[in-house]
Amino acid sequence: MDGYDVIVVGAGFGSPVAARKCAEAGLRTLMLERSARVGEKVISGLTIPFYGFLFGPDFIRDGNLPIERPVDGIINYIIKDIDSGDMEIDDSLRVPKPLSPVIAFGYNAYCRPFCQWEAEKALEAGAELRTSTTVTDLLREGGRVTGVLTDAGEEIGARLVIDAEGSQGLLAVKAGVREKYPPEVISLADVYDYRMDKEDVDRILGYSLRFCWGWDEQKIAPPLGHGNGLMVWPYRESVHFCQDQCLRMDGGEVPNLRGCFQEYHGNITSKLPWWRDDEAPRAEMRAHMWEGFEIFVGLDARLREMPSCTDGMILIGDAAGLEGTELCDGVPAAWFSAEIAAEVAIEALRAGDVSRDFLRRYEDRIRDHPIIQWSISATNRYNLRFAQEHHDLAELRKYVHDGWGLGSFAHVSTPLLKMILRTLQKDPNIITSWIRMFFRYHYNWLHERYDYSEGKEPPARGDRGRSKLSQILFRKTLEAMDLSARMLSPFIRITARALEPLSVLANPTMKVLLPVVEMLFKGFARLEPATEPLSRKLVEFIRNADPEIFDQPRRKG
Amino acid sequence: MAGRCEDIPGVEWVKGTGEFIRVVPELCDGCARCVRVCLGDCYEISAKKALVRSLERCMKCAACWYVCPRDAIVFSWPRGGTGFRTDWG
Ligand SMILES: Cc1cc2nc3c(=O)[nH]c(=O)nc-3n(C[C@H](O)[C@H](O)[C@H](O)COP(=O)(O)OP(=O)(O)OC[C@H]3O[C@@H](n4cnc5c(N)ncnc54)[C@H](O)[C@@H]3O)c2cc1C
Ligand code: SF4
Ligand code: SF4
Repeated sequence: MDGYDVIVVGAGFGSPVAARKCAEAGLRTLMLERSARVGEKVISGLTIPFYGFLFGPDFIRDGNLPIERPVDGIINYIIKDIDSGDMEIDDSLRVPKPLSPVIAFGYNAYCRPFCQWEAEKALEAGAELRTSTTVTDLLREGGRVTGVLTDAGEEIGARLVIDAEGSQGLLAVKAGVREKYPPEVISLADVYDYRMDKEDVDRILGYSLRFCWGWDEQKIAPPLGHGNGLMVWPYRESVHFCQDQCLRMDGGEVPNLRGCFQEYHGNITSKLPWWRDDEAPRAEMRAHMWEGFEIFVGLDARLREMPSCTDGMILIGDAAGLEGTELCDGVPAAWFSAEIAAEVAIEALRAGDVSRDFLRRYEDRIRDHPIIQWSISATNRYNLRFAQEHHDLAELRKYVHDGWGLGSFAHVSTPLLKMILRTLQKDPNIITSWIRMFFRYHYNWLHERYDYSEGKEPPARGDRGRSKLSQILFRKTLEAMDLSARMLSPFIRITARALEPLSVLANPTMKVLLPVVEMLFKGFARLEPATEPLSRKLVEFIRNADPEIFDQPRRKG
Repeated sequence: MAGRCEDIPGVEWVKGTGEFIRVVPELCDGCARCVRVCLGDCYEISAKKALVRSLERCMKCAACWYVCPRDAIVFSWPRGGTGFRTDWG
């Protein structure tokens, strides 16, 4: 049999990250993807939150990816009565100006170009890719996975298989690694893509995501009773719309989703004031898609504890049930788990031991990952059902605020801080990479620049002399930060290590300080008339910058 | 090659999938859950059994597979390079 060291099933968001890392380590690596073009069967939102980029693979953080639009926060609409237009807004979770939109909460993207971009990066590192190839089964010897069988009947051997097949996990279930998930934890997402002129998207939606939450009887957003909602994403010249609902609630009836989704979509587009008045006249429906995703796996102890490896095989991303329960974000966890799987694969192949006992260290590292664990265990979206059951507006407000408003600080601060401190221990110098990343991403968004594309020519600079001076200053500041981080690196490492255990206090502290933080953010919002011009200046600075100042390689600390 | 997916904007359909979803009539009790969740309208109930009417609007969401209480749906992927594709996911 033609032998590979590693076969990665799929070429979606997670697979290329694992494939690239394995190939870089000198392992003969093959990705097998069922679609003819990478990414054309991946259906998603999609906002990839900032933590995916900050703590994910270097090549993504330091790369030029196909970004559709930066996102600076979330506007939540709590719909009390759609006919009278009675609704409340919670837009507390927003990066304040002048940092916004350059320092972003996340970045929107289409799956096809993004997954393609990632796959190209894996190919550059020496991994191989075969498209139009469906893996139909796993090869086994004495219980150990030894390769895959394709739909062409070909057997391809591998010392280790990384299963990045996405949410349904057909191979994982077939191989008996994990069970098929019950309908309670699966949400069906009904997704529309609308084309709109960029100027209209800029003016109407800007950089904010819009989420809607409404009482079940309003039939405007998918029933809270099913723990889900309606999300709208602004892209470059389009708007993405997703309503999703669990396939079943707590052992109850399977709803008539076909009927419900049609009805809600009709009601939203004709009754929700900002959609009806602003979007509808300008938006032209371009695509309608749907996909299931395993939203609440992490909240069920039995499902969460199901294995994600067996002899000769590791599951990553959605195949391992790592979808986020609140933001429905699975891409960061797919990236994190792909990197961990590749690390473990490299260790296992070096040790010549791919047994489940050895690979268990993958599961341990996933359990020890602060962001993955937070994202699969946050409960606010799940709890919406109780707000509906009690029909309690105060309860609904609280879940929305704690999930997608500033209240989230009281449950995300500990994992974020822990992750920052851990990353600093590994590379104290990384802070400037983070800063460069936000600036470079924004430059790329403005000029539609990404690898494997020509991009737009930067416009001629007005005040060339001054902008050049500010660029030199900026470059020097980054260099000074690099240098100080390098000089202080032993100290940063020790401090980060010493502080890490204290990060558990971040959530409770934030809970106490939340009223103050809320006041501060309200203050920032009031200052917006003054900070807006600064924000525009920052954007112009980036627009006219020489991209080299963001691309400059930095020495590791 | 790729043709448009009937009635579904922005999605193309590449023929040659093979029979990738199948109902085992002996296991099916006609509960119609698959019909209720399929946004592609791929199923119908006939003589108290589910029938796959057409898979040419199937987006492989697996909702039918998840909700079937009797494991009567045999679910696999279309042949490589066939089935739905889109640029807008
Ligand atoms: C509607 C919706 C909205 C979402 N919104 C967000 C969001 O805003 N932010 C976010 O971060 N995440 C979001 N997600 C989740 C995110 O899309 C997934 O978590 C992510 O795609 C998982 O990556 P993965 O690599 O595990 O799987 P995927 O990206 O799904 O990749 C799996 C790949 O494997 C291929 N494949 C499957 N089986 C086989 C086989 N047998 N043989 C060969 N190839 C195979 C598939 O064709 C696919 O290309 C959303 C998901 C949905 C459905
Ligand atoms: S996979 Fe989804 S679209 Fe296809 S038949 Fe099943 S429910 Fe319908
Ligand atoms: S859900 Fe299963 S048992 Fe019910 S009708 Fe469909 S195939 Fe038959």
